[in-house]
Amino acid sequence: MSPMDGDNSTTDASQLGITGEYMAGGYVLQSQEDDGEESLNDHEDGNGSKDNLREQDIYLPIANVARIMKNAVPQTGKIAKDAKECVQECVSEFISFITSEASERCHQEKRKTINGEDILFAMSTLGFDMYVEPLKLYLQKFREAMKGEKGITPVSVTEGIGEEITEDSFTNQLPAGLITADGQPQNVMVYTTSYQQIPGVQQIQFS
Amino acid sequence: MSGSKEEEKVPGRSTSLPMSRVKLIMKSSPDVSHINQDALFLTTKATELFVQHLAQYSFRKGCGGESNALGYSDLAKAAEESEPFHFLTDILPKKILARDYLRSLEERSEDSD
Repeated sequence: MSPMDGDNSTTDASQLGITGEYMAGGYVLQSQEDDGEESLNDHEDGNGSKDNLREQDIYLPIANVARIMKNAVPQTGKIAKDAKECVQECVSEFISFITSEASERCHQEKRKTINGEDILFAMSTLGFDMYVEPLKLYLQKFREAMKGEKGITPVSVTEGIGEEITEDSFTNQLPAGLITADGQPQNVMVYTTSYQQIPGVQQIQFS
Repeated sequence: MSGSKEEEKVPGRSTSLPMSRVKLIMKSSPDVSHINQDALFLTTKATELFVQHLAQYSFRKGCGGESNALGYSDLAKAAEESEPFHFLTDILPKKILARDYLRSLEERSEDSD
């Protein structure tokens, strides 16, 4: 049985009051992060009894998984229901696979927090290095989007940026209104008007 | 629709799979304490790529024109034949017909007599 971690979610079946025989498919986990209508185990599992919930028993919502699959095959192609459920399981397996590899590296380097580099390194090590370049692009967009939302990150000497900060370097970057008259940066939500997917990164052919 | 609404507002941040759920799965791994935001985002995006990859590969290799439907056996085959997918072989055993299994049981008990 895996040790309990600090947050409120529990994967210990005895704490949930569920016995072995009761746990056929379709059970719901009590969790701090409540997904609303969707159960965490939106999944038909005929495997019968399990003694406790393993990490692989938490799945991503089948609707989302099925949608991605559908977009990946030709339009005329069909996907069997058991294939969707199967990929759902594979996905949880994949996440756990990457995570434990990244976690191991973290521990080796005496760090407590898994960061982006750990994940990318794990991908490379485990045979998914074809994902790394597209992921780096996605991450770049992600960081840009995050920066835009929080307003200007204050530039301090300790960040080691090294560039000389002049009047010019600010005027081009500052969207109007972000710095108020008394010089305090405001947190402003910036929404762009374009909702297109990131061009050039979305469709990746895996043969 | 995916569970986390905040992520869909700003493009570049949006994901097709809910990050909160991905986080839950990650945290259920032993010895995982903290996951930073980049790591969570990258894992979620990588998972999307993985689904595309697995579906595309299995469909191409499996559907030789017969049913044009992606099924369990195509996935099991992909796990066996493609190296990155080898880690899935434990959860994707190739199914055998019940009668073949029973037959192999009989043969085994005959041998041990």
